[in-house]
Amino acid sequence: MTSVPLPVLMPALPEILLAVGAMVLLMIGAFLGEKSTSTITGLAIALLVFVLGLLVVAPPYGTTFGGSFVLDSFARFIKILSVGGSAIAIAMSIGFARAEKFDRFELPILMVLATVGMGIIVSARDMIALYMGVELMSLALYVIAAFNRDNLRSTEAGLKYFVLGALSSGMLLYGASLIYGFTGHVGFAGIAASIKANGAGVGFVFGLVFVLAGLSFKISAVPFHMWTPDVYEGAPTPITAFFAAAPKVAAMGMFLRIVVDGFGPATAQWQQVVVFIAIASMTLGAFAGIGQKNIKRLMAYSSIANMGFALVGLAAGTAKGVEGVILFMTIYLAMTLGAFAVILSLRRKEGMVEDMSELAGLSRTHPAVAWSLAILLFSLIGIPPLAGFYGKFAVFGAAVEQKLWTLAILGIITSAIGAYYYLRLIKIMFFDQPVAAFEPMPMEQKVVLTGSVAFVLLFVVFGNPLIEASARAAKSLF
Amino acid sequence: METIILFAPLVGAIICGFGWRLIGEKAGQVITTAMIFLAAALSWQIFLTFDGETRSIPILDWIVSGTLHSEWAIRLDRMTAIMLVVVNTVSALVHLYSFGYMAHDENWHEGEHYKARFFAYLSFFTFAMLMLVTSDNLVQMFFGWEGVGVASYLLIGFYYRKPSANAAAIKAFVVNRVGDFGFALGIFALYFLTDSIKFDDVFAAAPALAETNLTFLWSEWNAANLIGVLLFIGAMGKSAQLILHTWLPDAMEGPTPVSALIHAATMVTAGVFLVCRMSPLYEYAPQATAFITVLGATTAFFAATVGLVQNDIKRVIAYSTCSQLGYMFVAAGVGVYSVAMFHLFTHAFFKAMLFLGAGSVIHATHHEQDMRNYGGLRKKIPLTFWAMMIGTLAITGVGIPLTHYGFAGFLSKDAVIESAWVGSSYAFWLLVVAACMTSFYSWRLMFMTFYGTSHAHGHDDHGHGHDAHGHDDHHHEPHESPMVMLIPLGVLALGAIFSGMLWYKVFFGEEAAVRNWFGMEAAAHGEAHGETAAADHGTEAAATETHDDSAATEAAPAEGTAVASEEHAAEGEAAADAHGPAGVAPKGALLMLPFTPEEQAVVDTRLDAEKAAKAEHAPTTMINAAHVVPAWVKVSPFIAMLIGFGLAWLFYIKDPSLPRRLATQQRPLYLFLLNKWYFDELYDVVFVRPAKWLGNFLWKKGDGNVIDGSLNGVAMGIIPFFTRLAGRAQSGYLFHYAFAMVMGIVILVTWMTLFGGAK
Amino acid sequence: MEDLLREYLPIVVFIALALVIGLVLLVSPFLLAFKKPDAEKLSAYECGFNAFDDARMKFDVRFYLVSILFIIFDLEVAFLFPWAITFGDLGWFGFWSMMAFLGVLTIGFVYEWKKGALEWD
Repeated sequence: MTSVPLPVLMPALPEILLAVGAMVLLMIGAFLGEKSTSTITGLAIALLVFVLGLLVVAPPYGTTFGGSFVLDSFARFIKILSVGGSAIAIAMSIGFARAEKFDRFELPILMVLATVGMGIIVSARDMIALYMGVELMSLALYVIAAFNRDNLRSTEAGLKYFVLGALSSGMLLYGASLIYGFTGHVGFAGIAASIKANGAGVGFVFGLVFVLAGLSFKISAVPFHMWTPDVYEGAPTPITAFFAAAPKVAAMGMFLRIVVDGFGPATAQWQQVVVFIAIASMTLGAFAGIGQKNIKRLMAYSSIANMGFALVGLAAGTAKGVEGVILFMTIYLAMTLGAFAVILSLRRKEGMVEDMSELAGLSRTHPAVAWSLAILLFSLIGIPPLAGFYGKFAVFGAAVEQKLWTLAILGIITSAIGAYYYLRLIKIMFFDQPVAAFEPMPMEQKVVLTGSVAFVLLFVVFGNPLIEASARAAKSLF
Repeated sequence: METIILFAPLVGAIICGFGWRLIGEKAGQVITTAMIFLAAALSWQIFLTFDGETRSIPILDWIVSGTLHSEWAIRLDRMTAIMLVVVNTVSALVHLYSFGYMAHDENWHEGEHYKARFFAYLSFFTFAMLMLVTSDNLVQMFFGWEGVGVASYLLIGFYYRKPSANAAAIKAFVVNRVGDFGFALGIFALYFLTDSIKFDDVFAAAPALAETNLTFLWSEWNAANLIGVLLFIGAMGKSAQLILHTWLPDAMEGPTPVSALIHAATMVTAGVFLVCRMSPLYEYAPQATAFITVLGATTAFFAATVGLVQNDIKRVIAYSTCSQLGYMFVAAGVGVYSVAMFHLFTHAFFKAMLFLGAGSVIHATHHEQDMRNYGGLRKKIPLTFWAMMIGTLAITGVGIPLTHYGFAGFLSKDAVIESAWVGSSYAFWLLVVAACMTSFYSWRLMFMTFYGTSHAHGHDDHGHGHDAHGHDDHHHEPHESPMVMLIPLGVLALGAIFSGMLWYKVFFGEEAAVRNWFGMEAAAHGEAHGETAAADHGTEAAATETHDDSAATEAAPAEGTAVASEEHAAEGEAAADAHGPAGVAPKGALLMLPFTPEEQAVVDTRLDAEKAAKAEHAPTTMINAAHVVPAWVKVSPFIAMLIGFGLAWLFYIKDPSLPRRLATQQRPLYLFLLNKWYFDELYDVVFVRPAKWLGNFLWKKGDGNVIDGSLNGVAMGIIPFFTRLAGRAQSGYLFHYAFAMVMGIVILVTWMTLFGGAK
Repeated sequence: MEDLLREYLPIVVFIALALVIGLVLLVSPFLLAFKKPDAEKLSAYECGFNAFDDARMKFDVRFYLVSILFIIFDLEVAFLFPWAITFGDLGWFGFWSMMAFLGVLTIGFVYEWKKGALEWD
């Protein structure tokens, strides 16, 4: 009898805890009914925070499940970001869900489940685990996108996301099968070894393109971004905040791992794909953002452009580049959450406001909020000494180091073009005639906003440990 | 102590400039003044106790970048000590004086605060000037150089409501930038060639520079000469020498204390200071020094001619300053840097006093500056009169000929002229003529202001806004200035009388004394020329310095180099090599090499042979040679002074209608002088208007049409086009989205198959 | 290239077989079945659908729910069969894996029960 031994479970402990926790919460919700929503939300946050703490103190445990799952410092770093991002997103949804009357207990549970998926994709070291993680994350996200099911736009967003997501999953799977077919492996290490030994053939490159296309969908990189603006706009705002933060970071982490770990010997090939996607994302993000009137759509294009910037670092294909991407994503996460905290607070008696023109005169009605948002926007533009500058500097610097001048220069040009829409927002807030004031900001959003602004402002002074940590994380990939 | 001197003015400026709202204007004024007085007192202590040994006092590492290492350090040597005294003393007195002068100012409305600002600027200027004179390297010096430029700009434009003041401030700033460009190029060249900007390193490399060639502006130049000229261009700007002098007269738009401090005593002498400071370099740059001599002499002459016909009391003194700076440059140019410093030193006293005296007159006559409206003020403001008299006696050079007794200007100016005779007859004659004119315009000023009958009442229509002045009851009656203004005059009068006699010996006395005072090594000359008469001069010079402890130690290297130089004597380059081993900066604040054989041959023909034979020291250096010039040369400036005085007396006391007749008779010449040789008009045509045209062109066409146009085209045409395109792609239809994704895949796959390097 | 294509031959065979079987199943009723309609046969089904109607008609969303729930348990069984056959080889790892799977499935089942998804009305 060739009994398979029980695998070590420690590396997957965070995901196991989250999954079990989510199921327990589901049972609680199922038995207690809707009135348990706030309890479950609280418990979900507590669970995420607990796992976060566990990740912070946990040593890198190594691989398990036959090498298809790994917890190294890279995975740990990205997981900390995504778990933290999820926790904050759930926290920010409390007040909104209550006000908009869709506070059902499934929401935090789905978010936790999505987080489990994120944990898996970041740790996945073979195609099957990767696909499983992607689907676990995506299925939860499809449901969340359509969560406000009585709202036409929300359901439309969910449906679009689902259909296109299915298409991208198909691409991913097709690519994975091609790669398996031509290299004979599903594990990243095996794929890399095979490419090294046999070179990157046409079939493999086909597979590579399809896999990268499937992954690009998850980070909403052009031309696989089409769902982003519609979903961002259609989904309820706290869910948009969630979409913009944690899954993006996790998907980027997955992207980094697969190209470095799995396709490392084919760097010359994937580099071209990444360069193309990066240029397309930056350009489209900058140009299309200009025409937007809805602030959530604007954030969608902003995130598309930012993914392009992050990919610039990846295009360098070096440890330095990966370090830049990690740093960039960290800073991006902080800025995005802060920006959404503001967007979530744009509420009047009659309901949420999403039009940019409604921000007019915010500097007079809510000076603190206006200044905070202005700082975040300046950081998004990349004005030193705010954190956003260092993120962009890291990725562009890595590209320049690899002599990818065109890419870096295009990045800077599109940054400048993109600055327009951030500056216009600032102009509206500070120089336009005020319209009616908003309801006061809920506590949790105040906390998030303050933290985000503090991060952006103080990064220049206290950013070093973060830079070092991202350097360590990047090193563990190579 | 040096650090305190340097930073006390800065502290004062900061407290007063930023804190006067907290502590009040009066307190701010008092603090700045107290700080400067502290600095002045310490400066005098250093000056009187300094032993001549060069010291470097580091403050902090300033710029460390590659091989460029610049410390912020104080270089303390005799030059620094002199300048500390000059700057801090005059500055302290001007601060004190400003209490009175700036008490009421009709340029400001009632209740406006301007005094704290003024004092803060003054103190800031003092700090920058101290930075300049104490600097240990060229970059630090440049920092101070620009700092005084800024302070000067701020103070010239102090009355910022007056368009003319603003224009003058801008003019000063722009003209100085031209000079500074040369200065900066000189610094770059030095750094390029010596890889260092520290004075010591640069000085050590100077002999080598003299043998290096440098390509600049499409041709080859001798490096030492080129750098010398470039640095001198900087000095020309700051010291208002010909070509770059036009800003100085206009700078009189600033308050009079400013004119006294910045535009007479200190900042404008920075150029002279620079040349003297760089003497170890200039000693190896004969063409550059010849240029300095010619330009200095020409400036002295030119400014004096213009000064003859000016009517604004401050402008007369401004041209006089310009002229006296020319004297200093001549002295530096012919190689007696100590004399240049001497004239700088004495000039600071009497010129500051003349300006402050003029300020007192202006104050007394309620801000009237036109001398034609003065007259007969001697009785009304006697103390000011006597101060001005002393200043005039000093500047015109009154003293007992052929002795060393006289007013400060007598000793220093005669020293310059005697040296000029040895160095360049062109300079000598121009300077003598200029001395005559100096005397004329100075006495003209005195006579028009203090003698004759009062013209003030006849010019009521002149309109000076007296009513706003708060002196309604006696507003046409000149009144003596308050004590705070008279005390500085008194102190400066002491300087104007005695500073020449007291320090004649160490600036222009026995060569050994001068060398000792400046901490220089004893000149190892004589042997270098193979002259038997001076064969044992080196040791003799050392022997005579028995009063000095360092004499014994100095004698040894002197002999050592003398031996070494004998080997080179035949090659005729002994003078360059005689000065110690290459790569070591010369000792002391200055470097004054003996004549080369060619120079010696020329010099010998100019000297009084009889005196030279009898002289204790052979005339192998400029100082020694200047002492044995013919007697008529020594007396000539005095004669010139007397002629000037006589003419002035004739024109303005004996027959006051004479000037007008002469002006009518010689109208073209008069206008030529009155309009300052038409320099401003010339510059207006050659530089200002083309620059304005170019600026306008670039602004309207270049910036407006090309840059703005293309930016607008991109920003308002192309980008919105793409934005619309992107917006249209985002149609909302699911199948469009899916199509985009598929197209993306198709493009990527096609690209990768064709060009992607897939095998 | 030849070798590569030859490796795909079995697939081509499978596709051909699938086509044949599909066609046979589609065509054979027309040839073999006898048609004897009566009122009962043509009347609506129990679920309310007409026997002969447009395939793309609207119908109650609850049918979707039932079918989705069915598929979940169908798949569960699809997993259980191979698991049961190789159970001896898998050992404890296999056992616990399936227990975890069933546990998750059970929780889903409990949830849908409590949410009332199994009640028709």
